[in-house]
Amino acid sequence: MKEGIVKNSAEASSLDHQNSVGAAQTGHNSMCKTGITELDQKLGGGIPGGNTVLLVGSSGSGKTTLSMQFLMNGAKEGDRGVFFTITEPLFKLTKNMENFRFYERKLIETGMVNIIDLRIISDRLGLDAEKYSVEDANALLDVLKDIADELNVKRLVIDSITALCYRLQSKELIRDFIFKLGASLAAMSCTTILTSEVPPNEIKYSQYGIEEFIADGIIYLGDIDRRGDLIRTLQIIKMRGTEHSRTKVSMNLSAEHGIEITPLLKSGG
Amino acid sequence: MSMMSNTLIEGLKDRIADAVSVNQSVGIILPGSNYNNLAQAIAEYIQSRPRDAWVYLTITKPYDVLTKQFGQLLSAGNIRFIDCVSRAAGISTRDPRCIFIDSPAQLEKTILEIVNLIKSWGNAIQKYVIIDSLSSLLIYNDSTLVSEFFAYLDSQMKLYDTHIISLCIEEEMDDMLNKILYLKANKIIKVRESFI
Repeated sequence: MKEGIVKNSAEASSLDHQNSVGAAQTGHNSMCKTGITELDQKLGGGIPGGNTVLLVGSSGSGKTTLSMQFLMNGAKEGDRGVFFTITEPLFKLTKNMENFRFYERKLIETGMVNIIDLRIISDRLGLDAEKYSVEDANALLDVLKDIADELNVKRLVIDSITALCYRLQSKELIRDFIFKLGASLAAMSCTTILTSEVPPNEIKYSQYGIEEFIADGIIYLGDIDRRGDLIRTLQIIKMRGTEHSRTKVSMNLSAEHGIEITPLLKSGG
Repeated sequence: MSMMSNTLIEGLKDRIADAVSVNQSVGIILPGSNYNNLAQAIAEYIQSRPRDAWVYLTITKPYDVLTKQFGQLLSAGNIRFIDCVSRAAGISTRDPRCIFIDSPAQLEKTILEIVNLIKSWGNAIQKYVIIDSLSSLLIYNDSTLVSEFFAYLDSQMKLYDTHIISLCIEEEMDDMLNKILYLKANKIIKVRESFI
């Protein structure tokens, strides 16, 4: 791994891999807890281990925060994780995350949570920053898989799948990339969150209409306008392998507690 | 303060103390003209119970005004404020004793903050939530929404073994909120003009 690509994860590979099989997820079919108590209850215990979840929302809906909280909470229980960012530079992402109490720098320093800037990887692979060819996309997929294998991660986040697909030149290429990504993720047996950016107030789960087909689960982050106040909402649309709630709930985002959810008052939604 | 006011405040304090001692949820309905007396009685009652923990939810007055008017509240033991009106009025005060909610329409966030405070105090202490006032929420929200808010909050507080004292200004009340208050509260104190 080249210095600068992975944020403070140099020691990651030296850690005992046995330790990375954490209490939060002990096997492919066990529940992978998000660590957000009320969300885990709504999920019927957590995200089924090995599932790929599309976390959908518009800008500012809390996708990145929820994803990072998922990794940090997992790391605290012994699950090593990796966060691939393509939308924000590393320094900006970590600066924002440091405001949250759930974010522990120590977990980054010990390699329990690895943050990797995909744009730097693309650059070092010599890929065109704006457009990926078939070969570029395949090379990138291989690198993603190698990193996840090398770090022996149990939790993986790509933020965002939309920005990644944006660099692919045609719908066919996007479709091909998405299906190969799905196959790779399934083979890795780690629990994955792919964030998906959608325009506000549109019932749409992805930009390209393909992403949802490789996902075992979809969690939708939205807003409702109540007299000019935007109330954040969260709804589990689907989650294979668990009996989950499909009720829209209110979501709060705070430095102290990170993501919290509470019932949405029905007459106000 | 006039002797009549003092008598009213003392009378209210006694009635609140009696009601709270045996009821988990108490609603107090009174004419707007005597709201200040009730607020004073509540402030004094809180101060008389320094070993208890209090959440004071204000929808009527900004935190700054409330603390200037009832400065003694701040010297009470465990009291935290949740202010739903300052930010909406463009007041940007910050104080570690107060959680400022952006707007009185953010009812779910208000519930979350109340529950978080109650949880932080644990089970070993007697806990109270004062809503000042439930009827003022009707200025910013539909009646059904306020009723739902109250019903949900009341249930949550029962779960956390917490007393809830809901102040209501008679002139602001409507039928639906009145019904839900009577349905959910264990005891209603109705202060009448004749009492005053």
